Amino acid sequence: MNRLISIFYWFSLGAVLCFITLPLIVVVAASLSPTSAVTLQPWEWTGRWYADLWSSRWLDPFLASVKIATVVAAISGVLGLFAAYAVVYERIPGSDALMSCLLSPLSVPQIVKGVAVVLFLSMIGLQGFLGTPALIAAHVVLALPFVTRMVATSLANFDANLDRAAQVLGASKLQRIRLVVLPMIKPGVLSGVTFAFIISFNNIPLSVFLVRPGDSTLPITVINYLEYSLDPVLAAVNVASMAFILAVIFLFEKIGGFSAQLHGGSK
Amino acid sequence: MNSLALDLHPPARRRRTLTWFPFAALSPSLLVLSVFFALPMGMMIGMSFTQTETFSPTLDHYQRFFTDGLSIAGFCRTALMSLLVAISVTVLGYPVAYFLARSTTRWRAVVFALALAPELAGVVLRTYGWLIILEDRGFINDLLLHLGLISSPLPLSKNLFAVVVGLTHVVLPFGILSLMTSIQGIDPNLERAAQMLGASRLAVIRTIVLPLSVPGIVSSMLIAFTMAASAYATPALLGGAGFKVLATMIYEQVLFYIDWPFASVMAMSLLLMMLAISFVGVRYESRRRSRASVSSGGER
Repeated sequence: MNRLISIFYWFSLGAVLCFITLPLIVVVAASLSPTSAVTLQPWEWTGRWYADLWSSRWLDPFLASVKIATVVAAISGVLGLFAAYAVVYERIPGSDALMSCLLSPLSVPQIVKGVAVVLFLSMIGLQGFLGTPALIAAHVVLALPFVTRMVATSLANFDANLDRAAQVLGASKLQRIRLVVLPMIKPGVLSGVTFAFIISFNNIPLSVFLVRPGDSTLPITVINYLEYSLDPVLAAVNVASMAFILAVIFLFEKIGGFSAQLHGGSK
Repeated sequence: MNSLALDLHPPARRRRTLTWFPFAALSPSLLVLSVFFALPMGMMIGMSFTQTETFSPTLDHYQRFFTDGLSIAGFCRTALMSLLVAISVTVLGYPVAYFLARSTTRWRAVVFALALAPELAGVVLRTYGWLIILEDRGFINDLLLHLGLISSPLPLSKNLFAVVVGLTHVVLPFGILSLMTSIQGIDPNLERAAQMLGASRLAVIRTIVLPLSVPGIVSSMLIAFTMAASAYATPALLGGAGFKVLATMIYEQVLFYIDWPFASVMAMSLLLMMLAISFVGVRYESRRRSRASVSSGGER
């Protein structure tokens, strides 16, 4: 009986891991196969879908996405850092209520936020704002609560005695912030910024309302195309953008090392 | 908190500059959130209660939502889909979460990476993968036809099944994380003690691990439900034209029918569904906390 249970346990574990990895493997295989269907017929490898990526059709939305995600990561990083500093470190009056305000967008589904922003801009006659500016604004609203929460967590968790020690030793407030607090919370800030970059880069539910023809992000370009065809070039686009995301994470990990922070960023 | 009474001789000028600075630091965030979140949300809520031509308050749009048949069907479909995703995420995530919580071998890191890596791949890549797998001429149908088990392709895509599979895959890492956290909180000695006293593996799981991980099960189901209900890309691509959920219906109302008040009503219904679910979660959590603190005489 016990044997049966443990066989069942290992089997189900393996099955779930297969379930998780199967679509990823299939996409990589599709990106290298000459036809769109992943079939059991013998097929040879081809790199031509990756070669096709080097055209303005895919490069333009990719660069647009990178640009938007970079601006969003920078803005929400700075704003989140300042907000968390005011609320957690300085404990300004009403800090709990202010923190709830800062985190309140988290409880609204993205698609609802997206509708609200597009209706708002249309109502006040700012349709011209759609495209990159609206995407940046909406993505900042999306990313800012996450960044604020990550920075707030690291501000709340670092050893406050170090700060007190610096104070006793005569450091000014500015010196303490620059030499003690900022280095201590650097991993939290960097993981927040990385997270902001990724959620902006991969975002669909907000972007879908805010893009304009000719001013679109990579995921939206891909899903619009995907509704009509399963062209293998899409598999290549997806694999390439995943490789790009991994490179970004690797880069930030090299700069700041936030593996220990991943739990704070997992929601 | 940080400025203990140590600052015995605070220079008056520094004090003054520091009293306004935190507010100045906070204001850009609050400004951005009010202009691009609070204001649009308020306007959307207002729009759902406003007559389009005369701008007078009305409940017409809500009445239409409840009576046109399609909207309520979409609402129920969204709830059903999210419930199925919540159940399958929790069931599939449990063995992985248990392994991650209990394993001490080096395989743990491998499984952890495998379980969470898809999260970085983005929703489009995974949905594309499932499209290839579940299509009429896709991977599974091709395999089954090849083996001669079926004579015509099974209807695996463009329906509820495909959407639930795709969303389960999207949400699974989050379910695994919350189950894992909960199982890690269970003292492994309880399991060892039960085993030593002669309980079978099944009895240990049924009477110790499962009951003690109920909070994790609840939170995994809540996260999965809310993420599934608000997902857009997966239902749009895997569900096809025949499978409409609130998220895709809202999109159509805004961009094809250009019926903003009705889009607002639908968005409100989705928002209320979410808030109801999170309210259940908050209530459950506070009940559990108070029960735990009573039974253990105030833990921590």
